[in-house]
Amino acid sequence: MTRFLSFISRTYVTLVFCIVFMPMAIILVISFSADSYLSFPPSGWSLKWYGTVLGNTSFMQGFRNSAIIAGVVAALSLALGLPAAYALVRLDFPGRALIRSLVIAPLVLPAMMLGLGILMVFTPAGLVATYPGLVLAHLVMTLPFSIRILQTALSNLGTDVDEAAMTLGARPLQVFMQITLPRLTPGVIASSAIALILSFDEIVLSLFIVGPRLQTLPVALYRYVDERTDPMVAVLAVLMIALSLAIVLVVERSVGFAKAFGR
Amino acid sequence: MKLASSPAHITIDKLTFDYGGERPAVDALSFDIARGEFIGLLGPSGCGKSTTLRMFAGLLAPTSGQIIMGGENIVSRPPWERNLGLVFQSYALFPHMTVAQNVAFGLRLRKVGKEESASRVAEALRAVRLEGFGGRRPAELSGGQQQRVAIARAIVIEPEILLLDEPLSNLDARLRDEMRFEIRDIQSRTGITTLFVTHDQQEALTMCDRIAVMNGGRLEQIGTPVEVYDKAATSFVAGFIGRANSVPATLSFGTGAPRLDHEGQALPAPGVDELPKDAGEGAKMSAMVRPHAIQVSRPDAGGLTARVIRSVFVGSVIEVELELGGGQKLVAELSPGSEEAQLAQPGADVALNWRSTDMRIFAA
Repeated sequence: MTRFLSFISRTYVTLVFCIVFMPMAIILVISFSADSYLSFPPSGWSLKWYGTVLGNTSFMQGFRNSAIIAGVVAALSLALGLPAAYALVRLDFPGRALIRSLVIAPLVLPAMMLGLGILMVFTPAGLVATYPGLVLAHLVMTLPFSIRILQTALSNLGTDVDEAAMTLGARPLQVFMQITLPRLTPGVIASSAIALILSFDEIVLSLFIVGPRLQTLPVALYRYVDERTDPMVAVLAVLMIALSLAIVLVVERSVGFAKAFGR
Repeated sequence: MKLASSPAHITIDKLTFDYGGERPAVDALSFDIARGEFIGLLGPSGCGKSTTLRMFAGLLAPTSGQIIMGGENIVSRPPWERNLGLVFQSYALFPHMTVAQNVAFGLRLRKVGKEESASRVAEALRAVRLEGFGGRRPAELSGGQQQRVAIARAIVIEPEILLLDEPLSNLDARLRDEMRFEIRDIQSRTGITTLFVTHDQQEALTMCDRIAVMNGGRLEQIGTPVEVYDKAATSFVAGFIGRANSVPATLSFGTGAPRLDHEGQALPAPGVDELPKDAGEGAKMSAMVRPHAIQVSRPDAGGLTARVIRSVFVGSVIEVELELGGGQKLVAELSPGSEEAQLAQPGADVALNWRSTDMRIFAA
């Protein structure tokens, strides 16, 4: 009986994994196709589409923009998220509980609505299709995550160690820089990595405010798929997955994901 | 060491913390601490002892009252200007620093020179018997060793007062006994005034010069371990420190001498001095007597008559559960092999006695 149950559960898990990973596997296979259109299985194998992607100005320009934006967004998410998380966890002020729940509001709102709202504000402000505009828009998505992760990490630290430092003569800023921040490293790395990945992959908000002057990689890819269907998109998808995976691996190897997210 | 009479090093005056609950968490707490004294703050959880310690440390601002240290009220001083050492139950070591860096932390903030700092750190680590552990990380140490690092880190800055918050609770039983004497030993050698918060009466009795017993935010009694054990000021203290039987009784002065009756039976006659001052005729009292003070004899010997319910051998003593006529239960401790123990067979009727001086009488 138990053997049968274990067989069932193993089959179930395998099935779920297949459903999750099958599309990626298909894309990976297609990226090595020699055909000039998307077909599965490919009739021949080649690396030529990888070469084409690297030679495509629109994609390379988009990659450069996305990388710059993601980097700035990750840095700002940390710079803005850390003080916010600290205040929400450690300080007592009126309306703290309300702000705590409002912080995650952007995550539950439809992205379309956010995008439209952002467009309405950004157009008169002249922020459409600019770096500051895209960074600001992405921050709306990444900040709730950053604050949430740092909040958890900070709560898990407790206050004893900081209080011990304080009684030994450390002022609040010394406590934060010398004790709290070093102990918060896993949370800092995790929240930055998440912000980086989210911003780099962001498409819905970006679609509203990119323009011919400034385009991100996901938007470029989306536009391209609209017109053409060749294995280049598969190559691009594989490269983007590889990048995200690399970031996740860095986090995993440096601090461990479970630890980074506060178990 | 008789310290209670030496001049106060620290005076706590009507210290109160009220967070708006039913009653203040700490209610008008007042007592003196002499220089070099080891004071225990003892009470059940929620009695306000930890709140008091946090107010000492400056981590919590009192609602009212003063803490006077060296002639100055320090309640408005932030923790980093109080020069005190705090040892947490969780040790609260800095995990990203070595043991030596942990201990040197307070010295570094005090801008103590490198050489002096190194020698003081070495000295502190020697005091807690951790020479040669300076280069290790806290995570590589056992609980007892981490505890000692925390103590070294707190005493190296030569604090005005050392605050210990349940420092032994996270240790296993064997280590706890060891650390008890070690902490006391370190404190005697350094002479640092120490406030030790604990819920464990055994720890308080064995370690402290004086014990302040707290309950419900109030100070019930402060005195030497012998005083709080033998001369409990309140029924709470008598019940909380050591084991005690509490027998409800009615006071009367029929023939002039005070007399206590429980369900029609007379208890050993109390002395007039042992009664609460305001106790009058017919007052409901509670007589407290320690299990080891109860003497068991043949039923015809006179005294309270009782029936033995069960008798359990627990090693050094035999614990005997007894029931008085009205159903009141008592516990007596008898030495194994004694005549008393022979008498205390389950189901047997016996007579109970105790010396009136072994009895504490409180208003019920």
